[in-house]
Amino acid sequence: MSKLGQVVEAVEKYNRFVLDRVKRARTDEQFGRELLGRWNDIKAKIPVTRTPTGLPLPRLALPEIDEPGEIARYLFGEGLPGEFPFLNGAYREMYLEPIRELESFEKDAVAADVSPAKSSKQRPPLQQAEEPTRLFSGLMLAEDTNERFHYLTRHQRTHRLSTAFDGPTLYGIDSDADGVFGKIGEGGVAIDTVEDMMRLYDGFDLGSPNFSASMTISGPAPIVMAMYIAAAKRRFGWKVVSKLRGTIQADIFKEVQAQNETIFPIEASLRFLTDMVEFTTREMPRWYPISISGYHIGEAGSTPVQQAAYTLSNGFAYAEMFDARGIPVDQFGPRLSFFLDCGLDAEYIALARVSRRIWAIGMRDAFGAGPRAQLFKLHTQTSGRSLIAAEFKNNLTRTAAELMLAYMNATNSCHSNSADEPFTTPSEEWIRLAAHGQAILLEESGVFKHTMNMLSGSPGMKAVERAVEAAILDEFREIERLGGVLAAVEDRFQRSQIQNAAHRYEQQIYDGTRPIIGLNKYRNGEGDAPEIKLARTPRAKQQLQVDRLKKFKKKNAEKAKRALDKLVDVVERGENCFPVLLEAVEVASLGQITGRMQEVVGRFRPMV
Amino acid sequence: MAAPIRILTAVPICDGHDSAINTINLEFIRHGIEVIYLGYHRSVGDIVRAAIQEDVRAIGISSYNGGHVEFFGEVVDLLRKRGATDIKVFGGGGGTITHDDAEAMKHRGVDKIFFAGTSLTEMTDYVRERYGKPRKRAGTKSPDVQLAWRLTEIEDGTRRSGREKKRQTSNIKHRTSRVIGFTGPGGAGKTTLIDEVVLRFLNQNSKGRIAILSHDPSVIGKGALLGDRAAMINSQNDRVFMRSMATRGQAGGLSPATHDCLALLGRSNFDYVIIETVGTGQEAMPFQKNGIVDLTVLVMNPDYGSRLQLQKIVMLDLADIVVVNKSDLQRARTAHAEIKQRLEQNRRAQRLIDTVAKRHRDPGVDQLFDLIS
Repeated sequence: MSKLGQVVEAVEKYNRFVLDRVKRARTDEQFGRELLGRWNDIKAKIPVTRTPTGLPLPRLALPEIDEPGEIARYLFGEGLPGEFPFLNGAYREMYLEPIRELESFEKDAVAADVSPAKSSKQRPPLQQAEEPTRLFSGLMLAEDTNERFHYLTRHQRTHRLSTAFDGPTLYGIDSDADGVFGKIGEGGVAIDTVEDMMRLYDGFDLGSPNFSASMTISGPAPIVMAMYIAAAKRRFGWKVVSKLRGTIQADIFKEVQAQNETIFPIEASLRFLTDMVEFTTREMPRWYPISISGYHIGEAGSTPVQQAAYTLSNGFAYAEMFDARGIPVDQFGPRLSFFLDCGLDAEYIALARVSRRIWAIGMRDAFGAGPRAQLFKLHTQTSGRSLIAAEFKNNLTRTAAELMLAYMNATNSCHSNSADEPFTTPSEEWIRLAAHGQAILLEESGVFKHTMNMLSGSPGMKAVERAVEAAILDEFREIERLGGVLAAVEDRFQRSQIQNAAHRYEQQIYDGTRPIIGLNKYRNGEGDAPEIKLARTPRAKQQLQVDRLKKFKKKNAEKAKRALDKLVDVVERGENCFPVLLEAVEVASLGQITGRMQEVVGRFRPMV
Repeated sequence: MAAPIRILTAVPICDGHDSAINTINLEFIRHGIEVIYLGYHRSVGDIVRAAIQEDVRAIGISSYNGGHVEFFGEVVDLLRKRGATDIKVFGGGGGTITHDDAEAMKHRGVDKIFFAGTSLTEMTDYVRERYGKPRKRAGTKSPDVQLAWRLTEIEDGTRRSGREKKRQTSNIKHRTSRVIGFTGPGGAGKTTLIDEVVLRFLNQNSKGRIAILSHDPSVIGKGALLGDRAAMINSQNDRVFMRSMATRGQAGGLSPATHDCLALLGRSNFDYVIIETVGTGQEAMPFQKNGIVDLTVLVMNPDYGSRLQLQKIVMLDLADIVVVNKSDLQRARTAHAEIKQRLEQNRRAQRLIDTVAKRHRDPGVDQLFDLIS
């Protein structure tokens, strides 16, 4: 049995344990009295807050129960926010400050190491004059993105930069490679060398507690991570390494299952990932070396249950791998974070809640993890797939509804999509509206800021929780039957399941069983496209990137050869290659490094 | 009935957005179109080479990662340069391709760009309407273009001259290539194995050429998804001529035109011609009728079921080489022993090899390559 099978058993066992507690609370008088006493204590300690009209409300709403069995069901089955099994929230308090910073774009807001509630206590409220965060994450060349970063953070005390890379970088290819010229700087920033990495974060204090960098890249993640460390070292010396904060996506499984940005064969990719994780958990205790992502699985068209099931099982598979490498679970566990999609389907009412519970039980009971390693730290993004071009202003409503669902799930941070996303990289006007959507929900409305769990615990939500948990466990059993996550991935199981779901979704839109307003229902003739101003990378800039890369290669030709030979040697021998990667990035480009590594381990063979 | 329309679809280099194209592929197939799917992250060179070898009517490109004006333009230019102007280019990219972009792309020779919100029906209708009519052959006849055209004529049965037809079959004996047949159940890893063999050939022989004739099943009454190219990363090479064929209603793992196409390839100056059947059942013996396959390779998955099942697999009697692929699986050792026993009944000099084709530089594949070459 793989660890996933053990997780299934652990959840089943825990559910039996809960039922047992309920029964005991009803039959064992002393136990019942104890529970009732504890319940009354909890209730008495909940602070009261007042709405602007003066109405008193509790910070935390509890179900109105006084029967020991029901109290046991709540306390053991769900847990208070911040308590095992964390159904109601990873942390004690959330969203409660009157004003909260908008970190909509930021995947690594979860990387703050503290709950948003706690962190917002430490932060001054937003100044009236301050604009909401509009982090645009990567365009053209490193210096262009750098300029944008400075512009976006100019009024902010904490600098959290989220970086998107262009196609060639995501595929580990150099900008001077054949046929990629038009792709340089498109959809993200072009990074070929450590010098580009220095330009990218120039002027930011990388070792500061107020700085964190998020890098959305998976296939070549270890190499890009090494470049980031090398760039930081060049500017601040060795000592900065242990202070670096941030997140790198590095999620290989979801790449193979859904997003297709894989460059080495699966096993080799996982090995290089583990090499990196072994290094960062030891040397960079504030870094999140992997963001386990269901978002791209959801966007590729999976059902909500598939999204949660594959994300969680991928997470458990990583944990199993890191564990097998000998990294202690309480060391890597707290450095894992999650990223989910939130769409409009009913499952989303409780998808993240259930995920949090399964993760906690699995980590505690199948992996022996301590409390910090049990937390499912979650960043949510509203669904891009749910946004459509026809009558695109309706997308504001879709995103607003999704935001509400995301916060009902007590997500730790959230990004709201721009309504113009079906057309283009989001434009400033619509990004602003998207960010304001969150501000309106969290700051203007009273839905979440007085009582943190205002909309939790309805009978409908409970029903969804039960159904979703059962369905996720069924998916786990199916994966287990196929031999575990890796075997299922190699059999392209998750991939074909996602593709089937995507096709069904399209069919349902086509035959009208899935109403999409403005598209297949209440159509209003021609659509209204927004004015699009696209930020395309000028040819001169693309040429500049190619030229300076060639210069870098020429300058370092000799040293690069030696460094790459050494790298190849270490990869051949099967040792941890991260330390030699750190040396190689000083003198070799991304494409040179991936090329030589592929000589040893081969290239990824795409799955259709 | 008119021959099915053949279309090549792909996603450009540095772009992994294949969700749209996967759905579109299925829709095309449903409407009788044969789709050769090249996969995502494919270069202009790979796309144009494949389109020429497959002699498709048009290339459909789905691009979501920018740089499309340049990329589509380069595809058109290269087709022109290679003398394949009768292959048209169309595509889309949701909202990422603006109307201005589309104008620029049309100006560079792209047929049609579909914008966000286009229904699948609209796309399918366009393809069937625009690429369904008989085409006028145009362009210079480079050897690959010429070979590709002749294969189409054979496959579609449009070759009229009786004399030529006669020459085709009689010339089987004058072939210059060694012909190797790969067969075996679906999911055994035939495609990956062939691609790894091709890689070894290309590395060992710096000038030689190789041809691959690969088969995928037609959906009954519909088109076909010919997807082998997507996984054959090493075979996308100027020294490899690959052709994907749909079975078009014929059972047994090959197409009605396989025999003649194979004969043509056999005398077209390739060092090797590799033929891959569709995933076959126990009773299949796809190479018997051809008589021009020099060597047959049966690729097995260790998970074939009980020992009894082996008795029913006809190809185990006939194959020259039996490969147990995925020999890293738990059951592989048992499988090897059981198959070995089964082969001993035949009292023939059959070879049994264990491979892990997915593994780079797998020694088992090296051994297979040595036996073949």
